[in-house]
Amino acid sequence: MIEGLFKKLFGKEKSKDAAKKRLKLALVYDKLDVSDDLITNLHQDIVDVISKYFIIDKESIKLDIKRSDNSSSLILNTPILSTRRSQSA
Amino acid sequence: MEGKIIVITSGKGGVGKTTATASIGAALAMENKKVAVIDMDIGLRNLDVVMGLENRIVFNIVDAVNGKCKVQQAAIKDRKIDNLFLIPASQSDNKNVISPAAMKNFCKELRTEFDFVLLDCPAGIEQGFENSVVGADEAIVICTPEVSAVRDADRVIGLLYAKSVLPKLLVNRIVPEMVARGDMLSHEDVVDVLSIDLIGLVPMDDNVVISTNTGAHLIHNKQSQAGKAFRRIAMRLNGNADLPIEVPRAKKGFWGKLGFKRGRNK
Ligand SMILES: Nc1ncnc2c1ncn2[C@@H]1O[C@H](COP(=O)(O)OP(=O)(O)OP(=O)(O)O)[C@@H](O)[C@H]1O
Ligand SMILES: [Mg+2]
Repeated sequence: MIEGLFKKLFGKEKSKDAAKKRLKLALVYDKLDVSDDLITNLHQDIVDVISKYFIIDKESIKLDIKRSDNSSSLILNTPILSTRRSQSA
Repeated sequence: MEGKIIVITSGKGGVGKTTATASIGAALAMENKKVAVIDMDIGLRNLDVVMGLENRIVFNIVDAVNGKCKVQQAAIKDRKIDNLFLIPASQSDNKNVISPAAMKNFCKELRTEFDFVLLDCPAGIEQGFENSVVGADEAIVICTPEVSAVRDADRVIGLLYAKSVLPKLLVNRIVPEMVARGDMLSHEDVVDVLSIDLIGLVPMDDNVVISTNTGAHLIHNKQSQAGKAFRRIAMRLNGNADLPIEVPRAKKGFWGKLGFKRGRNK
């Protein structure tokens, strides 16, 4: 609490907090970074699942890992051509 | 007798593997255990100078592993501490002159000869690391409270788990004043990031360099806080697992006594 007040008063983050944040992110990213295989397999699985519900252009689907200051996220971008009637109910 | 083989490793270079190997080995020998410290940094040997034994080398680890001499011939007796032996690295060879299979075999022999064997692993995760880890029962992973060292430690910890070698963490070169100011990761931060048990915390200490200058044992220096921390680590390894871990504290200097400046950051 006092720490928070201190931060508000002086508007400065301790350098070790920055270090810890960066470290946690780097470790997550390092592990994601390990293999291209993982991304390729994930890509294929996602295409399969989405294809059950939507008709999509399998070639233009894009899978990215994006890093921001506080987190990493998996970003999927795919144009939908149409829904599959049978699944829509 | 079935000795224990502990590899001291880090990933990142220069974080204190050799210093820790020499001091923990010496402290274990002072507890009446028969100890071998082995320099696995083939081509860049250093443990010999840290221990002040550089001019007694005849045989080395490559000779011993490859059967060119007996373990007893390669193991140099320490000048000051009974029961403490150094097997030096060879300076001329390349890391691949030892194979993991040969090293694993050699470790079996070491277990019958010593109570504790500490392997001073080279930096990196290549062949020298493989050779150091292959016959080990346990590992001490060393890092300093810095982003790069902690990240490399994480990588090494992952590799050790994959090889079923249980790692514990030693955080070295802690500067308590910087931790208090919030300018250095605390050991809690490091443990939180790495999710691993601690074996000890060692402060930054000028006495490390001073004792290395003369090849004296750091643990013999009664003033040395780092030496004291290494002695406590040895006690933990030697059956006293629950000995509390002391957190390095800032020296009570002028400002410390006034409770000024540092108090503000609490
Ligand atoms: N607690 C400490 N306080 C002060 N200096 C230290 C401490 N620990 C290690 N050092 C110094 O840091 C330097 C590196 O230490 P050391 O040689 O033990 O690291 P290392 O991990 O074995 O390095 P390498 O990866 O090159 O083998 C040395 O100069 C040593 O004296
Ligand atoms: Mg070294």
